[in-house]
Amino acid sequence: MAKKLDKKDVSGLLSRWQKDFAVMVPSKDGNTTRMALWDGQDTGFLEWYRNVTVPPKEVFFPSQEEMFHFKKDEAGHHLEVTPVDESKRLVFAIRPCDARAMTMLDIVFKDGYEDPYYLSRRKNTLLVGLGCTRPYSSCFCTSVGGDPSDPSSVDIMMIDLGDAFLVEGITPEGSDLVDRTEGLVDASKADLARADEVKEESRKKITRKLDTKGIEKKLLSCFEDEAYWQEVSAKCVSCGICTLLCPTCYCFDINDEMFKKQGSRVRSWDSCAFPLYTKMPMENPREDKWRRVRQKVCHKYEFFPMNFGVIACVGCGRCIRSCPVNWDITRVLESVPAVSGAAAEKKK
Amino acid sequence: MIGVTDISQRRKFLADGNVYLPHVAVIEKVIEESPAVKTFHFNFKDEKLREKFAFESGQFGEYSVIGVGEAPFCISSSPTRPDHLEVAMQAVGKVTRALHQLGVGSEIGFRGPYGNSFPLDFLQGKNLVFVGGGIGLAPLRSLIWNVIDNRDKYGKIDIVYGARTSVDLCFKYDLDAWEKDDSINVVTTIDRDDGVWKGKIGLVPNILVEAAPSAKDAVAIVCGPPIMIRFTFPALEKLGFAPEQMITTLEKRMKCGIGKCGRCNIGNLYVCRDGPVFTYAQIKDFISSEH
Repeated sequence: MAKKLDKKDVSGLLSRWQKDFAVMVPSKDGNTTRMALWDGQDTGFLEWYRNVTVPPKEVFFPSQEEMFHFKKDEAGHHLEVTPVDESKRLVFAIRPCDARAMTMLDIVFKDGYEDPYYLSRRKNTLLVGLGCTRPYSSCFCTSVGGDPSDPSSVDIMMIDLGDAFLVEGITPEGSDLVDRTEGLVDASKADLARADEVKEESRKKITRKLDTKGIEKKLLSCFEDEAYWQEVSAKCVSCGICTLLCPTCYCFDINDEMFKKQGSRVRSWDSCAFPLYTKMPMENPREDKWRRVRQKVCHKYEFFPMNFGVIACVGCGRCIRSCPVNWDITRVLESVPAVSGAAAEKKK
Repeated sequence: MIGVTDISQRRKFLADGNVYLPHVAVIEKVIEESPAVKTFHFNFKDEKLREKFAFESGQFGEYSVIGVGEAPFCISSSPTRPDHLEVAMQAVGKVTRALHQLGVGSEIGFRGPYGNSFPLDFLQGKNLVFVGGGIGLAPLRSLIWNVIDNRDKYGKIDIVYGARTSVDLCFKYDLDAWEKDDSINVVTTIDRDDGVWKGKIGLVPNILVEAAPSAKDAVAIVCGPPIMIRFTFPALEKLGFAPEQMITTLEKRMKCGIGKCGRCNIGNLYVCRDGPVFTYAQIKDFISSEH
């Protein structure tokens, strides 16, 4: 049964949820915005929030975390795992694209060997989604299998009805929470009809379109087309921001940090944009910038689909909005030569 | 056809149930193979794990110098000789330089075994041509000893091995043993005349063509520096080997070893997850460009 929440009551709702969960909401943090612990009062995000700059992946996969620590004494080395975070958390107002990105990270972190740190946080966190009504011009979720009101990757979905939110439980855990949360009223038929209108309007607001049909094959056929990749990578400055702020990017580095006789092994976000990322002492397979740009594009649109059957891009547009030189992945993908073109000829 | 392809089916020996936590192991012997290469014999500190631990030729581990960092290397000993584990490495980076400082009794960390392995089922009954360069003999020797310990299951064995100079030849004690074995044909070469060497002089791919092992019912297993691998495939093609008859084991920068940290891919294949053992058929679309 769909419920409704008056926007004036958001603070009350979050306060009630805060008793059972560490509640994270869209927050300002210096010059940036990210999901952070709610301070118990401020609901100003209802005004300014379109999406957070730092994707909510950091709630599950922080930019830096200790995996274990160690010390050395006469008996040798002692290694101790850093306890995984099992706190109950709730992320409020996550956008459908960012929630969908989590399902892609789930694939990687579960694949073969389970990543205990990530999966524990995932298991213990509820996602409350909020449909987009003010997408950016850089958003293109509808071209890569998403939708501004897509409820498929959240536990509870909210649709902005203007002065109220429609609130629906999606997963059993989400439905259970909606059922036992006080202060939600039953939605009327008119509310549901209004929600459908909002969803339709939102879909129309995603104006950036990208034809992804056959993209995997096209990329495979131009893999060796150095001239093409040189051209599309020419202005890239290898700053890595498009990967660090990408909700589906998961690459990480592992390093030891020492202080006197003890230390810790730390993992931190890494990026395929950096030449050091693949550097070995004797050689580096991706020292050339064009190879790194090719890796970024092909990983998302060719390799990940080959391995897991889904494009590893949710169309959130962060890479377009944050790029210092206006590198635009949708333009790059549109310019990939057709399979029957020069690249295919050259390959023969 | 290559080893265990379903990674969820691979044997796991997790320390404390955590895939990133290494087991502590103790170095039992250090062999100086060449001025830059050392082999370490080691055993787990935990005796129960010593009993339980199993791996296949071709698999690798992540080795830690705790406090310095971690790096991946193939296990260079054979699972048919389980008394201890061996790993050989050149001192070229942060972790390998630190490892080279360690002696008998020192502790290291080990996670693994990871990756797939040489496909013994496919190799059995075939003639085997091993082509190695420099430290690239390390993963091959795990398989070579494995094959020797089950000699009747395999056909002819040819080994073509080379290094830059005679002092850079690794595993000389193995080469001596194999040369004495009448069922194995060993050709050793160095790249340039160093005034001391009495054997063949020339690059491995050229010496391989000269040795001309037959491609009939044969499989070539290749490992060495990328440049050697790149030129060995065409040499094998010239000898009549099809891409499916050429197997290699690759090396990349790796951090996690389990297909997550992202950097070791060749196209859609991750060297740590889908390799390190590949047929040339699997990687030929990408290898000319990225390896």
